[in-house]
Amino acid sequence: MTVMMKFIKNTIAVIRREIRLMRQRPIYVVAPVCVMAFSMLFFFTLLKEGLPDNLPIGVVDHDCSSMSRNMTRQLDATQLGRTVMFGDCTEARKALQKGEISAFCVLPENMYEDALSGRQPTLTFYVNTLYFVGGALSYKNLLSMTNLFSGAVQMQALQAKGMNGEALIGQVRPITIDCHQIGNTATDYMVYLSNVMIPGMLELIIILVTVYALGSELKYGTSVHLMEKSGDSMAAALAGKLLPYTVFFTLLGITCDLILCRQTGLPIRGSILNMFLMTFLLVLASEAVAVFIIGTLPVLRVAISIAAMFSTLAFSLTGFTFPVESMPPYIQGLSAIFPLRHYYEFHVHEAILGNGFAGWHAQMTYMLMFLLLPFTVWRRLRRAWYRMDYPKN
Amino acid sequence: MKRLKYIRQWLSDWNAIFINELRMIFSDSGVLIIFFLAGFVYPVLYNLIYGEGVLNGMPVAVVDRSGGTGSRRFIREMDATRELDVAYRCTDMAEAEELFMERKVKGIVMFPEDYDDRLAAMEPAVISTYADMSSFLYYKNLTMATGNVMISEMHDIQEKRFSAAGYGDRQTDQAVKPIKTEAVIPYNGTFSYTLFFIPAVLMIILQQTMFFGVSMLTGTMREQNHSFALIPDRLKGRGINRTVLGRGTAYWLIYIIMGIYTAVLIPRLFHLPQNGNPGDIFILLLAYIPACIVFSFTFSTFIRRRETAFVIFLFITPICLFLTGCSWPASNFPLFWKLFSCIFPSTFASRAFVNISSAGADLAMAGPQIRGLAAQTAVYYFLSCMAVYLENRKLKNRKRND
Repeated sequence: MTVMMKFIKNTIAVIRREIRLMRQRPIYVVAPVCVMAFSMLFFFTLLKEGLPDNLPIGVVDHDCSSMSRNMTRQLDATQLGRTVMFGDCTEARKALQKGEISAFCVLPENMYEDALSGRQPTLTFYVNTLYFVGGALSYKNLLSMTNLFSGAVQMQALQAKGMNGEALIGQVRPITIDCHQIGNTATDYMVYLSNVMIPGMLELIIILVTVYALGSELKYGTSVHLMEKSGDSMAAALAGKLLPYTVFFTLLGITCDLILCRQTGLPIRGSILNMFLMTFLLVLASEAVAVFIIGTLPVLRVAISIAAMFSTLAFSLTGFTFPVESMPPYIQGLSAIFPLRHYYEFHVHEAILGNGFAGWHAQMTYMLMFLLLPFTVWRRLRRAWYRMDYPKN
Repeated sequence: MKRLKYIRQWLSDWNAIFINELRMIFSDSGVLIIFFLAGFVYPVLYNLIYGEGVLNGMPVAVVDRSGGTGSRRFIREMDATRELDVAYRCTDMAEAEELFMERKVKGIVMFPEDYDDRLAAMEPAVISTYADMSSFLYYKNLTMATGNVMISEMHDIQEKRFSAAGYGDRQTDQAVKPIKTEAVIPYNGTFSYTLFFIPAVLMIILQQTMFFGVSMLTGTMREQNHSFALIPDRLKGRGINRTVLGRGTAYWLIYIIMGIYTAVLIPRLFHLPQNGNPGDIFILLLAYIPACIVFSFTFSTFIRRRETAFVIFLFITPICLFLTGCSWPASNFPLFWKLFSCIFPSTFASRAFVNISSAGADLAMAGPQIRGLAAQTAVYYFLSCMAVYLENRKLKNRKRND
């Protein structure tokens, strides 16, 4: 029998053994499916509005004129805001500190009169940006609102002087900005977050399950049996153990891609097949990281703790919310050790910019480089599986 | 006399369980990694990762087809903002688009040919911007910087026109700004990512490290065929309270130290806002830590093997962060998720901590959150006692059957 034939035979023996294990301990299959289903349900329903509307914005109306009431009404009528009236500033400030409102504005006494007679009243607004999305949106909303009102007063004054038509608009609002949002025209948070959070969850569960599957052999003392089945071949043992998971995770990932595509409408310009390819690479890279972790620390309980710490950090270091280039320089390099980082960059090129292979070929290479990781711990893991001389509990 | 004996017995049992739990914790390297390595390192790491939490000098490309004084001044002003850096001046859109696709710039600002002509003719002029939406922070930087420059430019243009029309300085100012606006952003003026993210995440680190540590120990005890619900045999199944309280005290002792480190020391070390009263923060910890302990006791009963806790529950960590409402506003949660968020002590504690520590609220203003934590403590305490009771009955049945 040739070496190749022997290898295939051994690998199949290990695969058979692994499928039996998966059936005995359903956690290997059930946990990933449940985690992905729950995560998708969570992000799709929590963020279903896309952009939060009707944010509570406080108003302290000291003026009580037709103008201030008009302002309040207009603020209430915008899609972003919903006004909440407060009797005085202290009350409104407390509500702001409690996070009940994300902003409030104070309309000063005699605002209407002062505005008409040129005494230039000051309208003040307070924004709590500790609640980020609500704060930033309310800030933007209030800023454009107050500018609009200032413009309206100006327009009235100019109309009284006989100006009208385009000249009037040109004088009140000489410049306007027309912003095009490339890749997410509706500023949709659901599209934005779920397209990276869902693959992130996939990476997380793959690393955990793979570490658990490989480490269990040590913990339950079954690795000698595994090596017997594999005919003492480390390659057959590892391939046989990982193959069923690779197929399962890839199918799971592709299913998630399809659902994501339906829910979020991405990729706009790219191809779904390329997304499948990169999901497959994400699966492989995550497994490689898991092999590296359990190979370096062949004690299941330690390895799984480290794997958990690693996987949660990935969300931050991917830089899809806070960009990597604004992190300190010594942290920036660290982001490269997370497969999710490369997946995100691929996603930007493929799904948002539509750059295709020319855009993400580097990311593909980085992903493939993760596959070298298992070789660095090859001998160490083999020895651990043979001797089982590490603490089990 | 009998009562005194009971109290003495109670205390001695409690003490034995407490000491035993501490011994278990400190002889388990996995738990120690989670409690101390993760507990100490995570807050530091997050602070290092986010640094100042602001994106400065984001590179943008400018296409100035107009090339007049107006557009040139706008570009200069834009370059001077904290947010933007005019990295490339392109002759046409194709060139700028290429830079955008290569991700060398995160935005494009385009001035049309008639920009300066329209301004001169007193007609409204339009600037087009193109934002990279791969991170919303890019979009925010571009819109905020261009918006602010636009407002100041607008006022400049208007002032010049009024002066030209023979208005005096005061009159011009009155005409341009009939209403003045003042924006006050008291707690996080620079829209820093760090200042909003870290305070919320600190509380989650406490809850999650505790939960995983407790779950690992529960799993270990079950694997070794003795239960977390160990009640001394002579008590005949009573003494549930001392079991829960004895174990709880061990975690309380560790986590009050971890809590002070996370909630008091870390903000000092990294100059996070500390507008709250330290006493209030301590009282918040006193409400939060017991809630976390009984929460962990309750949910760890579902763990059969020590390592499965991570496989089953780790994904909840980022979800907990969203449930605090620090990013997507809590006022816009669908009802189901609003209710779901009440399962986790971190939801209340993060909000209270952000409000007290960063926004300077006092304890009375954190009343709803403290009450929420108290209610959770009561409910989860009852459930942990139930778990001990049921586990004991099961164990006894098993023993009888053997």
